Amino acid sequence: MTTLTKLRQSQFVGAVVLALLASAIWQISSGLSFVIPSPAATAEAFVQNFADPRYLRDVGETAQAVAQAFIIGILLGGAIGLLLGLSAAARTWLEPLLIAFNGVPKIVLYPVLLPVFSLSGSKIVMGVLFALFPVLINVAVGVRGIPPVYWKLGRTVQAGKWQLFVHILLPAIRLPLLTGVRLAISLAVVGVVLAEFFATRFGLGRVVLQAYSHGEYAQMVSTILLLILAAFTVSVLLWRLERRVR
Amino acid sequence: MEGIHLNDVHVQFDHPSGITIAVDGVTQQVPPRSFVSIVGPSGCGKSTLLAVIAGLQPATSGSVDINGRRVTGPDRDIGVVFQEDSTLPWRNVRENVEFAMQMAGVSKGERAAKAAAAIELVGLKGFENSYPATLSGGMRQRVALARTLALQPGVVLMDEPFAALDQQTRIFLGAEVRRIWEQTHQTVLFVTHDISEAILLSQQIWVMSYRPGHVIDVIDIDLPDERDASIVSSPRFNELHNRVWTSLQKESMRGFQDVETA
Ligand SMILES: Nc1ncnc2c1ncn2[C@@H]1O[C@H](COP(=O)(O)OP(=O)(O)O)[C@@H](O)[C@H]1O
Ligand SMILES: [Mg+2]
Repeated sequence: MTTLTKLRQSQFVGAVVLALLASAIWQISSGLSFVIPSPAATAEAFVQNFADPRYLRDVGETAQAVAQAFIIGILLGGAIGLLLGLSAAARTWLEPLLIAFNGVPKIVLYPVLLPVFSLSGSKIVMGVLFALFPVLINVAVGVRGIPPVYWKLGRTVQAGKWQLFVHILLPAIRLPLLTGVRLAISLAVVGVVLAEFFATRFGLGRVVLQAYSHGEYAQMVSTILLLILAAFTVSVLLWRLERRVR
Repeated sequence: MEGIHLNDVHVQFDHPSGITIAVDGVTQQVPPRSFVSIVGPSGCGKSTLLAVIAGLQPATSGSVDINGRRVTGPDRDIGVVFQEDSTLPWRNVRENVEFAMQMAGVSKGERAAKAAAAIELVGLKGFENSYPATLSGGMRQRVALARTLALQPGVVLMDEPFAALDQQTRIFLGAEVRRIWEQTHQTVLFVTHDISEAILLSQQIWVMSYRPGHVIDVIDIDLPDERDASIVSSPRFNELHNRVWTSLQKESMRGFQDVETA
């Protein structure tokens, strides 16, 4: 127990040291080039942004799109992953297609999505495309890895399909599933913000790009920091949950 | 028609390279409330035969009747203990033992009472809240046994339940199974490749041959009902051991030659 606390403390100390070091390097380099805002200016922009209703609207827009992309992504990825994990036929037919599709840089599809899903829908679809695969792959591999004896047990006790799903399948894949979900949240952010860089009316991706074109580097960096912080916080929370679940 | 009746059971597996005959015409009976073991070399069709009786695997031809009913699929009155570790790692001992009852829709209170009794029966009292990862292989097989016994099935099928365990644990758990059977008198069919284990536990032994799988010898074990591990040094035990060994040896030699010439 004590070694665990020690480890956690040392992890925390390490993170603080690293953050201080990074800030120092940031401070020094901001003095060297005007395109790099100082940490203080960035922090100021960060705080002021939250007093701006337009900015809050952008935050809300992006957050909503990410949430939708994340939920649709895990449901769709989970469903396809289940199909691949459970059906040999689905594996034969779908797997090469999916591997090929996963290799495509998804952002090239964006212009194709725009006329179909409009501006607000397309970035959700882009988020879904990014969030889909980690869930899909982890679920498919997890399901295939379930020991056959669990299914035999399920059959001998005459468990129904739903019972098998809830009491065998889901708990048996809980770890890969959580890993997939954790990756999906970060990738949903990537997909949505990437889409916003290209074309959108509202959203943090647009804020970043606009700040860049107006030369407001403190604004740009503070928004990027916000995105990183949000994705990082959720990932860490899920990662801790992952380690608790055994 | 009490007990288990096997009527000319055949099982074959078709695969691209040909046909495997796993069970080739087994006609046998397990009398009600008796303890019968099947011994035979690995690959001779023991698990397949047990799977057919459990309703997990359809027979290619022939049929199985249990207590007068034709087997067409799994039945909660037929409990199965597998060779593989089948404890669910995300459930503690109590929850594992309750699993079969939970699937059967047994009420919470009844589940708790029956699980407690089954846990006590297999000697796991005090470990109710432990998770399988913290238990030894032998204890996990006790959990699986308790899960099967908790439903109080009339028939218990065991497929080499202790094969993965070390010799001492195996003998010890075998004695436990015999003790439990003396209390419950369920109809038990026990698969093993360990002759001593089969003799110690059973009232009758079926010797199965190497492919194609059928029963080549049926040996009644006329040892006293009250027996413990010390009986292995008795002359009668040795005679029985030799008899089973002779039947088996002929067969495993044939199996060995098959593999050698394959
Ligand atoms: N599902 C299956 N498909 C094809 N062949 C099988 C299958 N199950 C068992 N067999 C074959 O049937 C034979 C008997 O297997 P099994 O019943 O597991 O033997 P045992 O339990 O006595 O070791 C073996 O040759 C095995 O390869
Ligand atoms: Mg077997």
